Amino acid sequence: MRGNQANRLAAGGLIDRSTPLSFRFDGKTLSGFQGDTLASALVANGVKLVGRSFKYHRPRGILTAGSEEPNALVELRSGARREPNTKATTAELYEGLEAASQNRWPSLDFDVMAVNRLFAPIFVAGFYYKTFMWPAKFWEAIYEPAIRRAAGLGRAAGIPDPDRYDKAWAHCDVAVAGSGPAGLAAALAAARCGARVILCEEDFVLGGRLLGDGGTIDGLPAAEWIARTLDELAAMPDVRIMTRTTLFGVYDGGTYGAIERVNDHLPVPPEHQVRQRLWRIVAKHCIVAAGAIERPIVFAGNDTPGVMMASAMRSYINRYAAAPARRIALFTNNEDGWRTVEAAIAAGLQVAAVIDGRPDVSPAHRSLAGKGGFPVLNGSVSGVDGGKNGVRKISVSLTGGARAEVEADGLAVSGGWNPAVGLTSHHRGRPKWRDDIAAFVPDGAPPGMVAAGAANGAFGLGACLREGFEAGVAAARDAGRSGSPGSAAIADDEAFSLTPLWHVAGKGKAFVDQQHDVTASDVELAQREGFESVEHLKRYTTLGMATDQGKTSNVAGLAIMAAVSGKSIPETGTTIYRPPYVPVAIGAFAGPHRDENFHATRLTPSHHWAAEQGAVFVDTGLWKRAQWYPLPGEKDWLESVTREVKAVRSGVGFCDVSTLGKIDVHGPDAGAFLDRVYINAFSSLAVGKARYGLMLREDGVVYDDGTTSRLAEDHYFLTTTTAKAGLVMQHLEFCRQVLFPELDVQLTSVSDQWAQFSIAGPKTRDLLKEIVDPAEDLSNEGFPFMGAREVKLRGDLKARLFRISFSGEMAFEISVPARYGEALVRNLLIAGKPFGVTPYGTEALGVMRIEKGHVAGPELNGTTTAADLGLGKMMSTKKDFIGRVMAGREALVAPNRQVVVGIKPTDKARRLRSGAHIVPKGETPGPDNDQGYVTSVCFSPVLDQWIGLGLVERGRARIGEIVRAHDPLRGEEYDVELCNSVFYDPDGGRQRG
Amino acid sequence: MADFSWYIRSPLERALVAGRYGAPGEAGVSLTEIRNFDLVQVMARRGKAAETVNAAKARFGVGAPETPEAVDTTDATLIWSGPDQFLVLSRGGGQRMETLARVFAGLASLSDQSHARALISVSGDKARTMLAKVSSIDLHPEMFPVGTAAATSIDHTSVTLWRGKNRQDGQAVFNLLVFATFAESLWHTMLDSAAEYGVTIAHSEELA
Repeated sequence: MRGNQANRLAAGGLIDRSTPLSFRFDGKTLSGFQGDTLASALVANGVKLVGRSFKYHRPRGILTAGSEEPNALVELRSGARREPNTKATTAELYEGLEAASQNRWPSLDFDVMAVNRLFAPIFVAGFYYKTFMWPAKFWEAIYEPAIRRAAGLGRAAGIPDPDRYDKAWAHCDVAVAGSGPAGLAAALAAARCGARVILCEEDFVLGGRLLGDGGTIDGLPAAEWIARTLDELAAMPDVRIMTRTTLFGVYDGGTYGAIERVNDHLPVPPEHQVRQRLWRIVAKHCIVAAGAIERPIVFAGNDTPGVMMASAMRSYINRYAAAPARRIALFTNNEDGWRTVEAAIAAGLQVAAVIDGRPDVSPAHRSLAGKGGFPVLNGSVSGVDGGKNGVRKISVSLTGGARAEVEADGLAVSGGWNPAVGLTSHHRGRPKWRDDIAAFVPDGAPPGMVAAGAANGAFGLGACLREGFEAGVAAARDAGRSGSPGSAAIADDEAFSLTPLWHVAGKGKAFVDQQHDVTASDVELAQREGFESVEHLKRYTTLGMATDQGKTSNVAGLAIMAAVSGKSIPETGTTIYRPPYVPVAIGAFAGPHRDENFHATRLTPSHHWAAEQGAVFVDTGLWKRAQWYPLPGEKDWLESVTREVKAVRSGVGFCDVSTLGKIDVHGPDAGAFLDRVYINAFSSLAVGKARYGLMLREDGVVYDDGTTSRLAEDHYFLTTTTAKAGLVMQHLEFCRQVLFPELDVQLTSVSDQWAQFSIAGPKTRDLLKEIVDPAEDLSNEGFPFMGAREVKLRGDLKARLFRISFSGEMAFEISVPARYGEALVRNLLIAGKPFGVTPYGTEALGVMRIEKGHVAGPELNGTTTAADLGLGKMMSTKKDFIGRVMAGREALVAPNRQVVVGIKPTDKARRLRSGAHIVPKGETPGPDNDQGYVTSVCFSPVLDQWIGLGLVERGRARIGEIVRAHDPLRGEEYDVELCNSVFYDPDGGRQRG
Repeated sequence: MADFSWYIRSPLERALVAGRYGAPGEAGVSLTEIRNFDLVQVMARRGKAAETVNAAKARFGVGAPETPEAVDTTDATLIWSGPDQFLVLSRGGGQRMETLARVFAGLASLSDQSHARALISVSGDKARTMLAKVSSIDLHPEMFPVGTAAATSIDHTSVTLWRGKNRQDGQAVFNLLVFATFAESLWHTMLDSAAEYGVTIAHSEELA
């Protein structure tokens, strides 16, 4: 065995002594066993000091044995996998585990910042706000960063997480949270009825408190009963048992969030496996059997290492065979705390004394004390002597006023139990107070959710088994499962007699929230300063706002508040509970959606061909589009793009435009339908013709544009912009199904059915003649501008040809079924070779559309009207259409609106930038004189200068005016001329030729 | 001049490399792309839903599904795709637009989707486990028996999903039609999801 494990008990525990593990804590090599947590291994090695506290840098040890731990937080692993604020109490030990204490420098033993304790009087609640008020500008620059460095917890890795995470869905009739006696009973009963069951357990071993407390169930020792129950569950096909899985949140419609720590218990996840998995569990019913959390009593020095929850101490002794101390004192106000004494005696540890707040300790316990030879003191602990090396001596205030001292190296504390009401309160249900157990129990749980067992305030083992069984049967029955559940397991109910005790007055700091260093006097101060509401108390003192969300501190805090404000605890009330119940890594929420998998991508039919050509791709929405095709020797994008534009304008080029949205509009009323959704008429469009159409939103603002062709009497082929493809489809479906149900029209997205290429340039027809069957007439007469029809290609493939132009050149768009797309692009290259055909990307496409004054995304920006775009005349006066009425509103037809106009710098060498604001010459730039801005810019190879489009007040009435372009972002200001937005071939001769 | 060659490229042709991937041992998941199929969207015209169903029955021997189901016929599978609409899936060259246009003349609008989708078949011991990572649908045999269909989304990608006939070894088979331009992206997502179970990747020219 490596290391000494001096505090490991000789026998017992659920650890595998045949599998020793070596690990490092703060650089020191220690050992433990398979089945240990980091905390239990530290206990076994006699390590008491585990960290320094948040604000005062006080030495802290291990308080609990579960996920409620406020103190024993460490940085686990190293390098990119370093994980701050990991609870040592839930971190499973593995071979080679590395952990480091937090919030100390230079070392845990000698922490310079512990000097903070000397200034403790000023670090009271609200000290930020009171102390660091002046001068105001110091806050961001000096105070806040300095405070944050001094306070705080662990350090994030700061480099990308090398592990993978994913997400999954699960469905069941009954989800059970927690595998203690109530959870196992519930799962078994529901499963026997035939229900589909998911049992989530955050621990790596099933059994809950049974693991630390033992007991007898159905005449069997608890461990045997657990084994028998798990065997039976495992044999049922529709039962899924998920260990290392915390159900952390309740969402709408019976959806529950759970985090599975799939491989956190290994140094590195095995190949192909994830580190953690986020589950969304859809369950008809959820049974919360999450147990209860033992609560501390607040007294001076209650944060000294060696002070531990009584139940945690039992867990370390019974489950992990690790002795937290050699000589143990117990401070309790209830019967349950005494079980720790029994466990300690059974393990051969010394009991120094029991300090019981209640006057009437049971005869059985008195006799136990007699046999054990330790005193039972009626009173309370008022102070602890000790420090970083643990507890030395305990001061006791005896009932009646006398004082006593107890020498011990460990103090177990039990202030009673708080049912875990978090999950049942996630839909704003407020827990209700029960005087008999002096605790809040669930009330107003979300639909389909019930609590059972200790989570419901039933603390006896027998009661847990009965409640679990009944909840399991009820949930299964409600889900329509009629099998026989058998009978409930039987066990005795232990007595739970408690006299509430929250806070013992005394000298020295008495901590309520140990993780955030909130003391009883902070709570009292908050009350004196008027922060009496629990929500104010929480925010003013930060009580319950640490990573443990106050699991061990909230109720004590509000009990103290109740006492000082003269109210009852239920009157004082609880704060609101919100998911997640335990911290969940952001990486788990992101799942696989990071880096290149952040979202789905769409590839055009020519994508792989373009990649072969060395195209540079740009992300446009989900698409990867070829932006330009650099040739060897070209020095930058501008050179490539300019070459592509010149090649098209002087010869012929092609561009994949398959990203445009494409919709089949079918049916006898297709034309009437389009008349209503477009501002211009389509019912009058002849078969075999295409027309540019503009759609408005209901409010009269332009929505989208595109070309729509009539392929048959009852069949139109509509295109949308790339960006709006999905939205327009939704909009049209809404129109079809909701607005115009009387129209007989059917819509199908065919965006992915067709590979579509624009072929443009004066030699377009020459290229097409090579590839199109010679029988097809492509002349101006046979295929005029805005013609659209099916043609046969050489090699016997049918294609659609549309004579439309975005570039201003003689152009066609050709489309073939998508799986022929790659063949088409290769064949276009072959057919166009004699004419120097050039593939061009979206950049050249953009240059040519700006040269031609066509509007696109930057102008169709959700604020412009048809008239703003210079398309007002398209608005039909002979029919109604969506947006017509609202487009007539005063402000939308005001004469001073900003409208599309061309813009060019007067200095031909100057680069125009989009976003620059337009200001009249001689005026000071600013909101009062702002007349619009530049929307789109490009370097025009035709004009050999930068040009652009802009939205400028009365722009079209001001052609020729010189104005200022003011660009405060880039610190530029220069003269520009407002000009016709059609820079190139304004009479359109080239595209019609 | 010579005629041009018009070859077909499936949207998964580059991404799919047949073989064995992921964790070693017996592969838990089989991913198979089926390449050669015809797919036609049939949408009943206003008031013609019942007649469209009957026309399908006259042609295929079974009525078109009116709820989320997939119905196998001798030479096609009819898959519900929404109210008053369904898809006709058949072997390549089986049920082309022209043939179906006659069957549904005047009753329904037809739109060819043969090139708009990729068809992926998922099976194996761990198929359901793997699909649970990407689909919110409960695929338990009780809830999603053979012949159940769904218009749903996988990884934010719209898909048509249905449970086909079991494999000869009794394993469930889940088929999904995904839009072609999304196919490669979804394929990688599925491959990543399946890797921990071990994956066999294949493609097949024919519908099973």
